[in-house]
Amino acid sequence: MFLAAFSPKDDREASPDAALVRRLLQNDVGAFEKLYDKYSRIVYSLVLRIVQQSGPAEEVVQDVFLQLWRNSAQYDAARGPFVPWLLTLARNRALDTLRLKSERQRRLENQTDELFSVVVAPQYEKELDEKRRAERVRALVGELNPQQKRAIELAYFQGLSHSEIAAELKEPLGTVKSWIRNGLIRLKEGLHTAS
Amino acid sequence: MSNCDQFREMYEAYALGALDPAERTALEAHLASGCAKCAKAVAEARWLVSQLAYLAPEASTSDMLKGRLMQMVRSEAKSSLPVSTGITTTPSGIPYWLSAGIAALLLLTLYFAWDAHRLKQELRAANERNQRNEQMIASTQHQGAASQQELTAMQEQMAKMRRENAILTDPASVKITLAAQKIQAPQMVAMWHAKYGIVLTGQKVPMPSGDRVLQLWLIPKAPGSKPMPSMTVRPDSNGNFVILVSNPPETSGNTKALAITEEPAGGSAAPTTTPKWVGAMS
Repeated sequence: MFLAAFSPKDDREASPDAALVRRLLQNDVGAFEKLYDKYSRIVYSLVLRIVQQSGPAEEVVQDVFLQLWRNSAQYDAARGPFVPWLLTLARNRALDTLRLKSERQRRLENQTDELFSVVVAPQYEKELDEKRRAERVRALVGELNPQQKRAIELAYFQGLSHSEIAAELKEPLGTVKSWIRNGLIRLKEGLHTAS
Repeated sequence: MSNCDQFREMYEAYALGALDPAERTALEAHLASGCAKCAKAVAEARWLVSQLAYLAPEASTSDMLKGRLMQMVRSEAKSSLPVSTGITTTPSGIPYWLSAGIAALLLLTLYFAWDAHRLKQELRAANERNQRNEQMIASTQHQGAASQQELTAMQEQMAKMRRENAILTDPASVKITLAAQKIQAPQMVAMWHAKYGIVLTGQKVPMPSGDRVLQLWLIPKAPGSKPMPSMTVRPDSNGNFVILVSNPPETSGNTKALAITEEPAGGSAAPTTTPKWVGAMS
């Protein structure tokens, strides 16, 4: 019921990325190579930022793209745009690797294991090339106060929870929650305004 | 305050993975209840959070990675890997299940830190059972004492175990955590593989009363759809069980949640009780 609320959008299903992913179902190696060439850079950048070492980062990138190749049917264009889905997958894999490496058992569950989550781009979202998108996001997050930015980065790149960030920054839990939420709301508003 | 209001400030943190367990469980239970408004807000928050990836300093992969990956992909494109139902061996003569077990352990180390110990135990136990079965098959064939029926049953059991291993260890499997609803009980974990099916595991699960059983339901996404009945099980004396659904009645893409109810022996065509465990497809 609740997932069905997101009806497929024709323009998304017809997006070039969705078309390439569909071709993977026919074992189209050329389509895979195009997707790799297009997105391996941002995926690797993200994963390297999380795991911090090039060797393990490349292993994660390999895993992410192999998963895309072997299980392309898991991506449903009707459930959201491709790139956020791919980035979510990459982040989760990288955080898994990070936790394994440091033997951290912080989660009772697979908090970030939302590989095939519904991702919905807001109405104002337009297709941007990766470079312009990166510039826009960096500029907006750069406007946040340093502590706010730090809290968001700890959550996103290190997978820390509110409580862990509060302990790390030695700040009250409520303050950390506000920083993160308000920071993301400002990012959202900024992206909206800039679009 | 509506039920949704208490979750409004959690959407972004949930998408970020920053909620503490109690908050996360509460929000997930709410989402599992079918709140379209909150589900849409969470989906949009996921998009927003995904944009943070662009904060990472730009870096480039090595050409070797692309070469290695393309080689693997081309190789796989040429040959698919069907699930065998017989006893097969690798070119080196190592039984397939054993080589698969070794590979699976490596995969476990990489991908399943969250549950590596338990999965390793399950994998080892499954491989030991496979090995015992193979020895029994060899022994009975040698003695000429086993009927064809018994041999077939053993081979089917081995195929089932291989399939369970594949589902539990393939990184392509989707994990679904089923949280207990209004009862004090550990969560259950389901792994859903697009090709091989679902493995549902429970540990220290309270025993259903009398001869009643636990039944798995697949809740379709389509509005108005009825829950799809699936396997039933009674946990063992320690409250543990593992069930394999080789051919789920619905695809994961068309399913929004899994649920467990307590039903009369033999199961029901439609749920007769409220779910005791629910897990949303993420």
